[in-house]
Amino acid sequence: MSNSHLFLKSGFIRTPSQNGVGRYVCQLQRVVLKFCKNNGSSRGMRDFIESGLVDFAKNNPGIVVYLKPRRHRTAVISAEYLNGDKQYINCRNFAKEEIIKWLNLLKTQSGNTTGFRYRKLLHTDHPSIQGPWTPYTFKDPAENLAKFPDQDLSRPKHLPKTATEELLELFQRSSLGSPEGKRAE
Amino acid sequence: MAGVVRRIFANLPRINTCNYVKTPLLSILPSVTSKFYSNVPTPYEIVDAQEDRKTYQGVIDNVNRQVAEKKQGRLFAVVHVAGKQVKITEGDVFIVEGYWPPDAGDKISLDKVLLVGASDFTLIGRPLVQRGLVRVEATVIEKNVSHTKTHFRKKRRKQYMRINFYRTPRTMVRVNRIEIVGEVNHPPAVTGLETRIF
Repeated sequence: MSNSHLFLKSGFIRTPSQNGVGRYVCQLQRVVLKFCKNNGSSRGMRDFIESGLVDFAKNNPGIVVYLKPRRHRTAVISAEYLNGDKQYINCRNFAKEEIIKWLNLLKTQSGNTTGFRYRKLLHTDHPSIQGPWTPYTFKDPAENLAKFPDQDLSRPKHLPKTATEELLELFQRSSLGSPEGKRAE
Repeated sequence: MAGVVRRIFANLPRINTCNYVKTPLLSILPSVTSKFYSNVPTPYEIVDAQEDRKTYQGVIDNVNRQVAEKKQGRLFAVVHVAGKQVKITEGDVFIVEGYWPPDAGDKISLDKVLLVGASDFTLIGRPLVQRGLVRVEATVIEKNVSHTKTHFRKKRRKQYMRINFYRTPRTMVRVNRIEIVGEVNHPPAVTGLETRIF
């Protein structure tokens, strides 16, 4: 088993320049599709370039798309983000659909977050609005005035009934214990 | 014994109005101790409905007045998103894990609001607050996948070992606005039409 996860970088949610507060800005700046014109491992990439690339470029005017044919090399997608991150995706033997999926992922990301663990899945600038809980919230203020040692407060919160108490209760419930019961007789 | 009874009552919510009557504790306790659940909703029962309404109407009026004058300050809400509950306030970013259809850049409104609160009041839904009372708007700002997680299983001395790697889809959502648009305890006569398409 690998121990690579032990050395993962970790941190908190960061959003580039308050993205989404006013409007959403796509963070992918530039994408370079590298492929070979002959090799079978770039076949899916070539298919995508033939059929889907123009649509992709039209639908995303904010993203610069480059094509880079290279002889006898594996197909690769290289993406650059507005925050300077760079990400390579090895597309050897990828089908056209897989390429579309990975391109969409690159498009909707805000940077290269592979190998980055989020410690919290929530970021807030206002952690508490009604005030954080303390041991004294919702407590009876009368307890402030209690003088210790206090017999009542020192008792456990939930005491089980003792046998004597149960007997007493039984007696009280029976006709012998209650004055009404006696009268009824 | 008397001490015990008092301690148990101290743990129950206190309502200091005279139109509530404490039901005898013995009628509650056996149900708590002998069964796994209890149908007894509360140890208080309403004696005078009119009097009771007068008490809570004052509270609700105060809340409505605060909202109308926009003096409630910052609001927070607990919303139900993709099977989980999140406590959010304006400007927060939270992550939804797992497959979730909204795409990056989508503006969505979170309708399953379980609770809304300001510094002075809290509106608790049963389980949701009344539809159309609160508007929570959010923007999807990022969709990516988590870091690679390892799922490793091994049984000792059984020649059994499996290792799986997986990455879960994640969606980052920014909360744009939380506001109370309706009137508390005064729902419109017809509800549920906001989202219908005729």
